[in-house]
Amino acid sequence: MGDNKLSWTELRRALASRAGISEKEANTFLNAFNEQLVVALKSDKQVRVNGLGTFKLQAVAPRKSVNVSTGEEITIEGYNKIAFVPEVGVKELIEGRQMSAVSEANEPIDPLKKLGAQAEEIVDILGELGQKPIKGQGDKVQSTNDDGQRTKEEVVEPEPVVEPEPVVEPEKPEVPEKPMEPEKPEEPEKPKKPKKEFHFMRDTLICVVILLMLLLGGYFFLREQLGGWIDELVNPQTEVRSEQVEASPLPSPEGKGEDRVQPSEVSYQPAEEEWTFEDILVVEEITEGSRLAWIAKKHYGNKAYWPYIYAANKEQLPNPSIIPVGTPIRVPKLSAAMRDTTDERFLRIREEARRKIEN
Amino acid sequence: MLTKDLIGLIANASGMKKKDVEHMLSTTNAIIRENLMAGKSIQMQGLGALEVKARKERVIVHPRTGERSVVPSKSQLVFRPVANMKDELKKI
Repeated sequence: MGDNKLSWTELRRALASRAGISEKEANTFLNAFNEQLVVALKSDKQVRVNGLGTFKLQAVAPRKSVNVSTGEEITIEGYNKIAFVPEVGVKELIEGRQMSAVSEANEPIDPLKKLGAQAEEIVDILGELGQKPIKGQGDKVQSTNDDGQRTKEEVVEPEPVVEPEPVVEPEKPEVPEKPMEPEKPEEPEKPKKPKKEFHFMRDTLICVVILLMLLLGGYFFLREQLGGWIDELVNPQTEVRSEQVEASPLPSPEGKGEDRVQPSEVSYQPAEEEWTFEDILVVEEITEGSRLAWIAKKHYGNKAYWPYIYAANKEQLPNPSIIPVGTPIRVPKLSAAMRDTTDERFLRIREEARRKIEN
Repeated sequence: MLTKDLIGLIANASGMKKKDVEHMLSTTNAIIRENLMAGKSIQMQGLGALEVKARKERVIVHPRTGERSVVPSKSQLVFRPVANMKDELKKI
């Protein structure tokens, strides 16, 4: 039959030829064996078969559980489990077989092994450096601390430099503590090494997270900018009106509300007249992370109008995308005509601002 | 129950001599061992299968000292009973 199975028939044939009996006899025996094994298990709960192992019936106690669909409490009844414990000789045989056969399984976990070895090495080195008594010695010291003489000698040996005191004073209670103390820091040293591995993994994770955040940030930043430009393309306003001479510049924080009122108060004006940005709505100070588009959004309700803010602050803005924090930015009032993003003058200003950015 | 008792049972049931049964049983076990060593699993009709299972190498941590050590990979002999036998013995 198959390469990794010994079928019933094969077993029967092998038995027949080996024991010098007919296949029929072998069959009878094997069947009887199986039958009687079950019978024996039933009556005795444990059957030892020499040269193989022990079959056992293990009782599994009843336990409570919950019906997954209804949430009802149910009791899972106790039952018997069949367990098999191989004979010691057989177990060893099989384990030994594995060592040669599945050696290739070692390779994937090799680094861990290395790590263990490294940890041990480091512990050894640390022990040498600190001239600390190794564990066995410490134990010895503890056990012999009844007579001060011997204890002293043994303590002096491991650390002659650090503590000359024990030699002078035959004080008993202090002596055992000394060798114990240096030992304590040594113990946590062992797990430290593998922990480093986790630190490394954690660091990698943090790096990845930061990278992701940067990417996300970049994405949103781009979307913000592009979004502004898209807005410009999508919402061209057709009204061509100009600003009426409005009252004094009000540095009020509710710029938006004022904006809404404006269109009703404006009157018609011929198109090609250069715009000025004398009327100041509010003066805003650039804060960390702020940008013209946001200020435009805040005061005009639309990011697309940022070029006007640039135009009103040309002198202090060599590059509209790089503004030092704290720079006061004058936010000009917008006339209705200015709200038309298809207007040539607007386009010109924007063009100019963009050129500055690119330079 | 020990092997001797099992042999008695088998002899009774099959009508064979105890001595023969003993011989056959030891031969059977020898065959089974050899085949297991060769990496084969033994299918025993009505009983189950004896298999060699590979156990992977793993790292264990000493709960008190935090010491890590590697348990080498090994293989284990396991017995997988047939569903029939399982059910039969669930309740006695």
